[in-house]
Amino acid sequence: MTQTAVAMEAYNGYWANSFIPEANVMWMVLILILAILALWQARTFVSKF
Amino acid sequence: MDLKTFKKQESKRKISKGYMWALFCAVFWGIWYLPGTVVWVLNPFDGMYGSIAKTSGDGISLVITAVLITAFNALTVMFALMLWNGVLGKYRELGRTLREFHPCSKWFFLASIFGGPMAILGSFIAMGFIGGAFAAVAGLLYPVIGSILAYYWYGEKISRRAAMGIGIIIIGGITIFGGGLLTELSSGNVQWIGYLGGLMAAAGWGIEGAIAGKGLDISEPDVGLTLRFLGENIIWWIIIVPTLAIVGFPMYSFALQAFEPLTLLILVFAGITFGFCYVCWYKSFPLIGVGRGQGIGNLYGFCAIIFIFLFFGDIPDWTILIGGTFCIVGSFVMFTEDSSALETLRGE
Repeated sequence: MTQTAVAMEAYNGYWANSFIPEANVMWMVLILILAILALWQARTFVSKF
Repeated sequence: MDLKTFKKQESKRKISKGYMWALFCAVFWGIWYLPGTVVWVLNPFDGMYGSIAKTSGDGISLVITAVLITAFNALTVMFALMLWNGVLGKYRELGRTLREFHPCSKWFFLASIFGGPMAILGSFIAMGFIGGAFAAVAGLLYPVIGSILAYYWYGEKISRRAAMGIGIIIIGGITIFGGGLLTELSSGNVQWIGYLGGLMAAAGWGIEGAIAGKGLDISEPDVGLTLRFLGENIIWWIIIVPTLAIVGFPMYSFALQAFEPLTLLILVFAGITFGFCYVCWYKSFPLIGVGRGQGIGNLYGFCAIIFIFLFFGDIPDWTILIGGTFCIVGSFVMFTEDSSALETLRGE
């Protein structure tokens, strides 16, 4: 099933009032940065404890 | 450096890492609300809700759609955890822990029953029947249950200061969502099934934490949590989803339609945030204890408000700012506890 126009309108509506430019992409970028940071910390943790 | 000083330094490092993992948990849990919210408006879930509501009513439709979303969430969490374990080189340990069912993995399968169909589904039921604010408040009470259980079951120490910190964070959380809760309560009929859902969420996560604490005595948190989600996937995909399909709900036709690029992308990010949040939560338990780990993890309410403000542009009420201040004060009460009080997490 592809996304309907109504679904896409509702989806885009969430990011429309964001304070961050390109919020519909930036939230994913932020998650990826946090995930890499957590993985790096976990690897450091494994090697030190 | 003498042995005593070395031990003290090591203990301090362990505690600071424990708080770091609990904070990571709160941040990932807070940001999970972004994919967790937007996925509801995308197909097939939007279409599924409408389709089932026509024949079975809004309430049933909401619960059934929540089951499918939660099942997909558990699946993507599993992929995220396999990535996590792969990066840390723990696949061999995973197999070893899985084989040791009696002493070890049984605790994580038990935790999956309380964490998945009880806590997560309970939270969705509370959200659907009463509202999001009530569900969040109910969820915030889980450290009370978790720390009491851990205290009575295996004698985990909870200092007066830690109890005070957990209490302040809970008051902060209730203040954050309190305005919305009052509106929801005054708006109409009392939906008891929604309150039951709230109780399920608080009890489920609290019991899961205490059980996980027991299992983590003899296994690694990274692999322990992966087994917990293996259990949850079995519960959703082998028991609950097929049962609902047999009862007559179109589970499989909508499940197959979820393989759509945007829906899959959102589910993957939900899986990364939820999976990493959970693994950080579990990692904090052996280092600072179930009560403190859950207490700091409760900062998710505050983190969620910040991320929703930044990315959805929803301006927070003044109650949120006061509640947020409580949350930060509560965290500092716990952070600044003398590390000698945490040298041993268990009582005599």
